[in-house]
Amino acid sequence: MGLPNASGDLSTEVELDAFRRLFPLRFFEKHLLESIRPDARPLGRARDTTLSLGAVASANGSANAKIGSTTMLAAIKMEVMTPSLETPDEGCIAIDFHMPPIVRPGRPAEAAPVVAKQLSDTILSSGMINLKELSLVSGKAAWMAYLDIYCLYADGALFDAALLAAVAAFSYLEIPVVSLNDDGKIVLSEEQGLSDREPVNKEKRKVNLGSIPFSLTCILHKNYILADPTAEEESIMETSVTVVLDSSSQLVSLYKPGGPVLAYTSAIQDCIALTRQRVMELQMILEEAISGMEVD
Amino acid sequence: MAAKPGIAPTTYSPNLVQKTRPPIFKDNDLDWVRPDGRGFHQCRPAFFRTGAVNSASGSAYAELGNTKVIVSVFGPRESKKAMMYSDTGRLNCNVSYTTFGTPVRGQGSDHKEFSSMLHKALEGAIMLETFPKTTVDVFALVLESGGSDIPVVISCASLALADAGIMMYDLVAAVSVACLGKNLVIDPILEEESYQDGSLMLTCMPSRYEVTQLTFTGEWPTPDINEAMQLCLDACNKLGKVMRTCLKEAASASQEEKLDVCF
Repeated sequence: MGLPNASGDLSTEVELDAFRRLFPLRFFEKHLLESIRPDARPLGRARDTTLSLGAVASANGSANAKIGSTTMLAAIKMEVMTPSLETPDEGCIAIDFHMPPIVRPGRPAEAAPVVAKQLSDTILSSGMINLKELSLVSGKAAWMAYLDIYCLYADGALFDAALLAAVAAFSYLEIPVVSLNDDGKIVLSEEQGLSDREPVNKEKRKVNLGSIPFSLTCILHKNYILADPTAEEESIMETSVTVVLDSSSQLVSLYKPGGPVLAYTSAIQDCIALTRQRVMELQMILEEAISGMEVD
Repeated sequence: MAAKPGIAPTTYSPNLVQKTRPPIFKDNDLDWVRPDGRGFHQCRPAFFRTGAVNSASGSAYAELGNTKVIVSVFGPRESKKAMMYSDTGRLNCNVSYTTFGTPVRGQGSDHKEFSSMLHKALEGAIMLETFPKTTVDVFALVLESGGSDIPVVISCASLALADAGIMMYDLVAAVSVACLGKNLVIDPILEEESYQDGSLMLTCMPSRYEVTQLTFTGEWPTPDINEAMQLCLDACNKLGKVMRTCLKEAASASQEEKLDVCF
């Protein structure tokens, strides 16, 4: 909120805060008339996004994504499984989203399973990972990638931040080199200490990513479209539209869960246009983060 | 596509777990060389930051080597109506691990006793009578486990409580010492903890020189017990100073933002 003015008069600040709490909708509408939002963003702009890779040393791939204050920590751990009979050449990905008690105590959030399911569907159907790449020994062993995303701070746009963190974790994933030992189990090659055992996956250390999905959540309120809402905005204006586009600008998913505002085609097209811009921003951010890690 | 719905395939981690400690020097006094190059009586450099989570009353983040912990404090909040009236406050602690925090996925659920250990460590230091009828919740999330988890959680929790403004007699600092054959190593990492013969964890209030919790496990040669306790007390003193510096920096930073405010 603004600093009190030079005469040390706190009463205007207290009144502003009270107005914001008592009449939140009017407070926001006054801002929207000037085409601006309380944090001084224009309507179509998303918050500052930062991405840092490799935050968790004990995981095979990890990333920490921050959109404004919303912080997500994603990490991937690889374990070995027996592939199913119908798909002997494919591995598997298990995606889970958690909102730990540090963020909100008491009953688990309603949003957590919704975001988990959305993420799972988006990532698996976007074609980013080809499951055949996760195979080790056909019919006997394949990788199971456990992707866990923890929300460390929830301030709106949970799905966007979670998807960005998940995608970044996959792009920084390092698959350990393993080989088959005498009991038929897969073990890490370095632990063996012997070089006579042929590593099963010497060449495949990184996963080749297909088209990477990026998303943007927008809020519809009367005739306004607000991109990347904060938690306060989400709680007041309840109609949200989430658009997921991949890096070749193809539509992966469109999600509009009800809400008091009915969206005309023009509103949806505007949301998609906003998402297209956002995809280019996010692609640059992801590339910068990856190249920043490679310099080391 | 994903595995058949409803049936989760059993998986195993390709990591090998070594059970016996490889002997290094057989007829020497040295039983161990620390992998990260620290001296036996040297703790890892500590990084503390308060105010990590704004939606909580108080929060802190601690990082010692590879051990990373976030603690949020909520409260004092109204106790549930089902609970009996009490003229002292209640403390509720919970420690949980991320699934990827441990080397093998899912090992965090082996540490269910940490919640009650955290409770016992903190309850001696908090002035519970200053918030009757209400509950203070302390939630800890271990993001990555690099050894010495519970001492880091305890120290971080006391910082978070200080950040939330809960009245305490003093900050609580905790340190653990591992006994590896004839050597005592302070602040063990994960590898050292897996090979240890015994461990000591001491939680104390540094400026009052009072111990709130003391936990001994395993095999200890008798003369080493005293030496280990003294090591811990000295280390807690130093850790207490580091924590105090962190709080002072946080307070002076917010002091600078509120230059014009005068009541």
